[in-house]
Amino acid sequence: MKQFFSRLAIYILLITGSAIFLVPLFWMMSTALKPIDQTMAMPPTWIPFRLYAQLDGERVSVKTGETLSAPAVVVVIKETGQKRIVAPDQVVKGRLVTRDKSGEQIKLPVTVVKEIPASKQEPWIRVTPEEVMAAIQAGKGDTSLVSNWDVVPQNSLVRERALRWDNFGKAIKALGVYEFTPRELANNWLGIVPGAWRDNLASSLYEKMSPKLKRIFSLNFTAYLKNTLILCVLTVLGTVLSSALAAYGFARIPWRGRNKAFVIALATMMIPFPVIMVPVYCLFRWAGWIGTLRPLWVGSFCAGAFNVFLLRQFFMTIPKDLSDAARIDGCSEWRIFWQIILPLSKPALMVVGLFQFMGTWNDFLGPLIYLTNQKDFTLALGLQFYQSQQGGTEWHYLMAASTLVVLPIIVLFFFTQKTFIEGISMTGIKG
Amino acid sequence: MTRGEFRTLMTGLAFTSPWILGFLIFTLYPVAASIYYSFCDYDVLSRPVWIGTLNYHDMLTDAVFWKSLKNTFYYALVSLPLGLILSLLVAVLLNNSVVGRPAFRTFFFLPSLVPAVALAMLWLWIFNGEFGILNYAMNWAWTKIGVFAAWVSAFFSDAPLHWPKPHFPNWLAEEQWVMPAIIMTSLWGIGGTVVIYLAALQDVPRELYESADIDGASTWTKLRHITVPMISPVIYFNLIMGIIGALQVFSGPFIMFGGSGPNRSALFYAIYIYQNAFEYNQMGYACAMAWVLFLIILALTWLATRATRKHVYYAGE
Amino acid sequence: MKIRLFLVFVCLSAAGIGIAFVGGCAPTKSDKTADGRTIVTYWEKWTGFEGDAMQAIVDDFNKSQDRIFVERLPVSSIDRKIMLATAGGDPPDIAGLWSWAIANYAEKGAITPLNKMLAEAGISKTNYIPVFWDLCSYRGFTWALPSTPATMALHWNKKMFREAGLDPDVPPKSLDELDAMAEKLTVVQIDRKGKKARVRYTDLTPEEKEARDFSIVQLGISPAEPGWYNQMWGYWFGGRLWDSDRKITANSPENAAALDWFVSYPRKYGLRNMQTFGATFGNFSSPQNPFLAGRIAMVIQGVWMYNFISKYSPGMEWGAAPFPSKDPAKTPNVTIAECDVMAIPKGARHPKEAFEFIRYVNSQAPMEKLCIGQRKFSPLAICSPDFVQKHPNPFIEVFSDLARSENALYVPQISIWNEYVEEMNVAYDRANIGAKTPRDALTIAEERVQWKFDRIMRRWDKVKEERIKEWSQ
Repeated sequence: MKQFFSRLAIYILLITGSAIFLVPLFWMMSTALKPIDQTMAMPPTWIPFRLYAQLDGERVSVKTGETLSAPAVVVVIKETGQKRIVAPDQVVKGRLVTRDKSGEQIKLPVTVVKEIPASKQEPWIRVTPEEVMAAIQAGKGDTSLVSNWDVVPQNSLVRERALRWDNFGKAIKALGVYEFTPRELANNWLGIVPGAWRDNLASSLYEKMSPKLKRIFSLNFTAYLKNTLILCVLTVLGTVLSSALAAYGFARIPWRGRNKAFVIALATMMIPFPVIMVPVYCLFRWAGWIGTLRPLWVGSFCAGAFNVFLLRQFFMTIPKDLSDAARIDGCSEWRIFWQIILPLSKPALMVVGLFQFMGTWNDFLGPLIYLTNQKDFTLALGLQFYQSQQGGTEWHYLMAASTLVVLPIIVLFFFTQKTFIEGISMTGIKG
Repeated sequence: MTRGEFRTLMTGLAFTSPWILGFLIFTLYPVAASIYYSFCDYDVLSRPVWIGTLNYHDMLTDAVFWKSLKNTFYYALVSLPLGLILSLLVAVLLNNSVVGRPAFRTFFFLPSLVPAVALAMLWLWIFNGEFGILNYAMNWAWTKIGVFAAWVSAFFSDAPLHWPKPHFPNWLAEEQWVMPAIIMTSLWGIGGTVVIYLAALQDVPRELYESADIDGASTWTKLRHITVPMISPVIYFNLIMGIIGALQVFSGPFIMFGGSGPNRSALFYAIYIYQNAFEYNQMGYACAMAWVLFLIILALTWLATRATRKHVYYAGE
Repeated sequence: MKIRLFLVFVCLSAAGIGIAFVGGCAPTKSDKTADGRTIVTYWEKWTGFEGDAMQAIVDDFNKSQDRIFVERLPVSSIDRKIMLATAGGDPPDIAGLWSWAIANYAEKGAITPLNKMLAEAGISKTNYIPVFWDLCSYRGFTWALPSTPATMALHWNKKMFREAGLDPDVPPKSLDELDAMAEKLTVVQIDRKGKKARVRYTDLTPEEKEARDFSIVQLGISPAEPGWYNQMWGYWFGGRLWDSDRKITANSPENAAALDWFVSYPRKYGLRNMQTFGATFGNFSSPQNPFLAGRIAMVIQGVWMYNFISKYSPGMEWGAAPFPSKDPAKTPNVTIAECDVMAIPKGARHPKEAFEFIRYVNSQAPMEKLCIGQRKFSPLAICSPDFVQKHPNPFIEVFSDLARSENALYVPQISIWNEYVEEMNVAYDRANIGAKTPRDALTIAEERVQWKFDRIMRRWDKVKEERIKEWSQ
């Protein structure tokens, strides 16, 4: 019995705990799929929805306005065509008694369009078709459009789940667009082509592009994504190759002074980044690399101490006999490394590569320091830039863009879960 | 040195060359240069001017420097123990042979994968004073407790219970709530530590618990006298990594507050270094501050090692 | 197996190196156009109609000769970007900065002095309204030339004046008068015996004023709106922020009086009420801007405000006049002057060509075209007679006269102005919410800024001779 209760307690704790941990993520997705008015509503809605009302016998998706809990009438002011909701006693003999802005009493001739028998128990609510609302917000509202609303009983509204997937597209657009010209194509995408051919190639490619493709290329998001991917590929490649090489040197070749060097390598792990931040910046400045992606990946081709350490530990576990046998057969060290050790170390290399990928994808400080041109930004920096420019009202776009940054990592995690968990345990325990 | 030794040395150096190169270019030179700059007034655009120890001297009188140090320590002192304890508790819970453990582990782990930028955006939204979900949830829970309290109190007295209506904080705009908010976001990312603990817990021999069960030990006693000592090296490792990490916090607060927050309540040490280096172009001062940070980290690591030495148990020693 | 892995690695490396070239190697930019003209890159902050106005001048210049081609690039948060680009070694040829950034840029050696080129071109202070020339100077050198100028003045809503029973054509003449008018212009909503009533602040009973249990519907003025010049309110009290030498004077009696005046508003109308009212304001550049939406009757704003009025609130009846000072007899016509400037960053590839364009913009006809285009007045001393008639802003002379006032003041020319503003904002904020008395808040601010300033001066003492020699070349 006691055991049953303790197990129950464990499950309750685990379930509440993981709920608390997951709610923020859920909230992010949920906000990303809402229209703006649902992001700014209290109490909040967890599942985005759409409201439908019967207008002139048609089922229309609507946005709601004020609620009426007392009888009222809808009138149209004859002079202006303006539609208003007023209290029944304000209309006297077809005239609306009201005050103008300076407080003078005036009487306006009106036609009564609708009488609303609203009450506290059965409130009515003002509804505007969603399309009309969108047109008004886009600044296209003329008088006829502005009067295109109705009042219906609140309980006649039908609420249906509706996820606004188009928010993602809009959020990507909100990150900004620039004018995509052959010159942009040449400068940002064809850097690999020798200078003499670049412009010609760019203009001929540009002409072949469909308008849709051009639109995609003109998005800042595309440039951000491209930069992030370039950096991820390069840093992963650089880190894995260089750390494996160095780790092999430390683990399997008994050269003189290697233990001392390895101690130095371990000691460098203690140095916090801010200490070397300024001189490294000055170094790249001296090389003229500020404002390019180079400072962000060149360093990864010089093995970092932590990864060298991890791989060294792994290489040490591979039996010595294997390489000795190969040596007797006349294999060079390089071949032993390349053909025997590396294939055996795939799990460890995966861990190093995966963590480097994550590190580059998430990196914020590096791009912040080295990148000056918006077209060179990474996703992380681009998102932060958008947020700092926006100030923060369009939360649905911000959350949609954030989701786009989070999602690849989460997908990656689900595909490589085992490596991930093993890698983390490895760094934690063996460190 | 024989020819064979020389050859080995050459091969060894060749393989290690990526690290050696990196060490020279990205560690040795920068460390040396950083020491030099820290004794200079240097604005990047003109050459450094030697000013002796004035940068270090200035720190003593720089009120903002002290504020940033205070903030950083506040953060480290609260978030580090909380994080360590919380993640250990979660790991211990998960270590019971529960159904669906991989799923639970994933749930706790997922948030730690969220990139700093997205994390900052998300929590900005959650802490929002007007439409933030956190205040809504707190308000909701508070009202529900109120209803329950009223129900209970009705048994004892006829007078209606006066349930206060608190004013929930506008987290990111009120100075005193900024740091608790940041700490909350940091606790959300303890998933990595949980996984490390969990792996360590699985290495603890089952027999120890079984013999303790025979002695009739309580859950708490087992946790206190078996679990914690057995995984103490891992706790120690997490503590050291935590200290190093907590003192270098940058991205989250920097993105959330675009700098320093109300009355500099979110100005962390690393942010102030960044501001000095890249906003005020006081590279020398930034380097000096970085060295002080390094010394603080060394001192704390030494302290932590000394304080825990007696309690850290290494198998096989 | 081995061969496959090897192939995979080779392919990956090849792909990596390929991409490295795409992303890594920034293409060497050509600085000549196809027809052999030198390209001068010009980074400027303006977009929209202001950008169009400048582009028209750029186009005129490009047509007027065949050696130089100016390429204008709109850049956001420009003062930071140009500093980063210059520090990184890849600056534009012309930097469109603000006058208040000059000291910082010059101190850090990020821009080059123009004295020699100015002398050769025969341009001197006499060509300009003096204050704008002064704005471009720092430590005895001239670092930039103005593009468009601005001064600040009181803008008021005539309709709201009329509704409050005030003469819509008579703006306040002193600060005390302004405070009194502001009370009449303020409307609050208050619960009177369970009924909500809208009442002018002046019609409240003394008890109601004391209780401050109302919500604000409209306000005469809010010293915190727009909040861009908070730290300079002292100018209207005869104060200065710096003694022009080595002392920061944030806590002078005049500045303290200004802060006292600033906090008298939240004290009078209630801090919470002001905050709730302020929370409903929209963006500056939107119809929900409190002045444009008719929620605040008076505001201090620059010459650009005309553009926003005509864009977002075209029907508005408004006027502009010098913002009254505390003691109008002693310090009449106080204003803040600033201007947009064009400077040449250090390390620019084509300084000579860049200066040619700057010089072109600073000749009379292009300058007047630019300033009409941006709805501003000309910073040049001589202005063509029909400029004012052609100008769409009916109050343009108020602003150009203010620029010529002896009390046309500007931000202290010190390189730590940004930090000064930051500290003053903290001080104003703390005093505003009542966390500190104005005196204490300003004392802290002064100490901190003085601390930073001392360090700057210490450095200057060390490098002074070397610098002046370098700049004089």
